[in-house]
Amino acid sequence: MFKNIVFTIITIGFCIKGNAQTVSAEVKEERNIYEKIYDAPLNVAGKQQLSLHELYNEKPLLLALVFTRCSGVCNPFLLQLKENLQFRTKDNSFNVLVLSFDPRDSIKDMNLLAKKFDLENNKQWFFAVTDSITKLNQSISFNPVWDSVINQYDHDALLVGINSEGYITKKLIGIRRGHDMDLLIASVNNVFSPTYRLPSKNLLFSCFNYDPKTGKNKLGLGLIFIALPAVLTVLMLIFISYFVKHKRPEIEETS
Amino acid sequence: MESIKLRKITSVWVITVLILFIVSITLGILMRLNQGEVISQSPVTFYSNLTTHGLTMIGIWFVAGMAAVNYLMQRYIKTSYAANVIALVFTVIGVLMLWTATFIGKFHAAWTFLYPLPFKEMGAATWATLLFLASLTVLGIGWLIWSISLMTQILKKYSIAQAFAWQHFKKNPKVETPPFILISMITLIGVIACLFAAVVLLVLFYAEYFSKGNFVNDALLMKNLTYFFGHTIANEMLYLGLAVIYELFSEVSGRPKWKTTWYVALAWNFTLIFVLTAFFHHLYMDFVQPEGLQIIGQLASYLASLPAAGVTVFSVFIAVYRTKIKWSLTNLLFFIGIAGWVIGGLGAVIDSTISNNIVLHNTLWVPAHFHTYNAMGNVLFSLGFFYWFSTQFSENSKVSKFTTLTLTLLLIGGIGFLLAFYFGGADSIPRRYSIYPSDFPMAAPMATIGATFATIYLIAILIFFFNIYKRCLKILFSPS
Amino acid sequence: MQQQPILVLFLALAGITTIVFTYIFVSSKKAAQSEKGMSNPLKKRFWFSLILFVILSIFTTATLPDSPYYLFADETPAKVVHVAARQFTFFLSEKAIDPASPTGEDIELPADELVEFRVTSLDVNHGFAIYNNSNRLITQVQAMPGYVNRLRYKFKEPGQYDILCLEYCGMAHQAMRASFTVK
Ligand code: HEM
Ligand SMILES: [Cu+2]
Repeated sequence: MFKNIVFTIITIGFCIKGNAQTVSAEVKEERNIYEKIYDAPLNVAGKQQLSLHELYNEKPLLLALVFTRCSGVCNPFLLQLKENLQFRTKDNSFNVLVLSFDPRDSIKDMNLLAKKFDLENNKQWFFAVTDSITKLNQSISFNPVWDSVINQYDHDALLVGINSEGYITKKLIGIRRGHDMDLLIASVNNVFSPTYRLPSKNLLFSCFNYDPKTGKNKLGLGLIFIALPAVLTVLMLIFISYFVKHKRPEIEETS
Repeated sequence: MESIKLRKITSVWVITVLILFIVSITLGILMRLNQGEVISQSPVTFYSNLTTHGLTMIGIWFVAGMAAVNYLMQRYIKTSYAANVIALVFTVIGVLMLWTATFIGKFHAAWTFLYPLPFKEMGAATWATLLFLASLTVLGIGWLIWSISLMTQILKKYSIAQAFAWQHFKKNPKVETPPFILISMITLIGVIACLFAAVVLLVLFYAEYFSKGNFVNDALLMKNLTYFFGHTIANEMLYLGLAVIYELFSEVSGRPKWKTTWYVALAWNFTLIFVLTAFFHHLYMDFVQPEGLQIIGQLASYLASLPAAGVTVFSVFIAVYRTKIKWSLTNLLFFIGIAGWVIGGLGAVIDSTISNNIVLHNTLWVPAHFHTYNAMGNVLFSLGFFYWFSTQFSENSKVSKFTTLTLTLLLIGGIGFLLAFYFGGADSIPRRYSIYPSDFPMAAPMATIGATFATIYLIAILIFFFNIYKRCLKILFSPS
Repeated sequence: MQQQPILVLFLALAGITTIVFTYIFVSSKKAAQSEKGMSNPLKKRFWFSLILFVILSIFTTATLPDSPYYLFADETPAKVVHVAARQFTFFLSEKAIDPASPTGEDIELPADELVEFRVTSLDVNHGFAIYNNSNRLITQVQAMPGYVNRLRYKFKEPGQYDILCLEYCGMAHQAMRASFTVK
């Protein structure tokens, strides 16, 4: 029995190795927390010219940074974000702003992107470009690097939480599980959660907590492990009781 | 013949436990003296002594309770002698391995060996960690065999429902489950569950050790498992002592035997559940633990005290209040032990309140309260049994003239030793410090006072030991 | 602070317990052979348990909201301090700390404003306990590898505060400390 457990564990160990992310992400995520984001002028698809503060004053924002020609992480990142939020349709405590950091992107490109994800009519989502991307990047410590060999930006999949006063409350780097999204949404609404995991340490819990198909949180494997001893004991009790039954002296019982 | 063999092995248990106890107390006094700056040990020596002291103490009082329960259980059912012997052999080997790991290998991750400290120790031999884990494995397997065997024997006579005394919830039950069987059953379940937790924990440790870093554990999960094992076994060993009291208190007092009633059954069934979830209170200061579990921790810690106080303590009160009974060292130790258990429990309930825990967690308040219900509670339950056992088979069972002396020294020594801890805890002095920073001017003198009183306690134990060891040896070497 | 009332409460309860046990013991010693013991024990037991239950319930409802997980929950901190613990030092910094090459800096915090400590560990479990000017433990949280714990606190009095490690972390655990000032 325990051999099986060891096997399971070791297999899990390897599956974790696969999706571990770069170490530096955990440092990057901690930068600029509770600082004000740069109030950039925006060109929002389907809307007039706006300032960033007009958006976050209305409702807290989740800011996603992408570029439309990306052949890497941007598409899965947006898809994931959309799926994650689909399960929170009733939660309209925040809006989502998808902002391009590539100066080549026009508002038309962003419109197409919105169409591609079937989000152009969704009131919660904004797609925009800005002409002061450098300043904005600086204020959130976002550094995309142009790689001329592959003709692509080398960049993180960054999600920034901004509360309605324009303070950066939390950052998420990489494609993250539902629980981290919960924490992000809580943070932009100034709801305190006393803890969070570091992104680089994807261990037992995260492997099973997050189901990419549904975007839902599952019972953590860790909890199962904690319950395991008690469950084993009960099973054993029933098992033994059954097997020694015939030895029991006949005692008359009314029940 | 069976019962003579059992009698002999029980006296081996008694002598082994007492000798290991005397060694461990000595280590405790050395620790207090080092903290008092009377002697000067290297930190590594101090912390490996701390590890030895903690695990040996937990181990011996657990097996003392088991040996007593096993001995008394023979009155109701046939128990397995082989399992008892296996447990004895495994315990002795396990303790020797542990002592090699700590005394020679300088393993010093404390008896809770909180992950990942055993892998990141400095100043310990590299083989020591593996030997320590192996010693725990040996102890765990021996104890698991013993407790599963006892549980199986109970189930051979009683169905699950009867062993849990569920028939007592109805009017006029046809079968009576003796309180001793009920409590033993409930406790054995808890013991088996926490030993399973230890197995899972050890497997995870080994998996990381042998995968050479390919597999890394989750610190939060490991901490939960550690306290599932550590807290629960420390708690259950008290209940083993209570089972003995339910069986013997009225008997040695010359009163009618206690009976199982619906509320006794209910209280102990509840206890089973609360005890298994109370360990969450060890993780209050880990904000990463889900909040729900923290609140369960506080509720379970509170509720665990209710049935215990309402039933056990009250039963003792009823048995004693304005009732002429035969007082002997045995029931005096039981009575004082119950008082110590209650007082330690009060300290524990105060600490298990989350908003208090934030200023008490890992201060000397923690050793203060757990030493109260161990050194002045559970230990006295077992000593009471030891004394009763040793007088069972000798002709002159008259009250020893040492009774008053032993008890006086035990009380003075114990109370003084404990108060030094409590005052230290209220003074924010950290636990597990080999020496105290100069910010705490009272810490060192307090430790010296603690050591002095602990020596008085040790003298009481020595008197007790010399009082009974000859009788135990006589039982051991009597012709069968 | 909070410790003194706790000690007094405990000593009072322990004293009451001792008196009750002594009283009951003496009543047995003095009892005549014919005495019947406690009258109506079942009823008394019931009331005893009920009162205990009520007291514990009141205690729970009164203390739970003071749990650290709920303190200052709806405020935005004026300052964030990052804390990384490692055998046997603490790194404190207003900037995020790189685990590969951790560095700390002197920390000065404002009085009467909300401060958030983001506490983690780079190796084993450590404790992050804050002691005030008169060496009283005022608040604490654990530093666990792989996780960040957020501890919020408002310092009332200016002065120097010490940090001690309150989770056993190895051979120099007793020497692991740091400090910061509140202005
Ligand atoms: C009079 C006898 C005893 C003395 C002098 C003594 C002394 C000590 C001392 C000085 C410590 C370290 C406290 C610290 O953290 O600074 C300690 C810890 C401990 N003691 Fe005792 N003790 C005694 C009896 C017992 C008994 C009867 C038990 C029974 C279970 C016990 C179990 C423990 C445990 C589990 C620890 C914690 C070890 C750790 O922190 O890892 N002790 N004791
Ligand atoms: Cu430390």
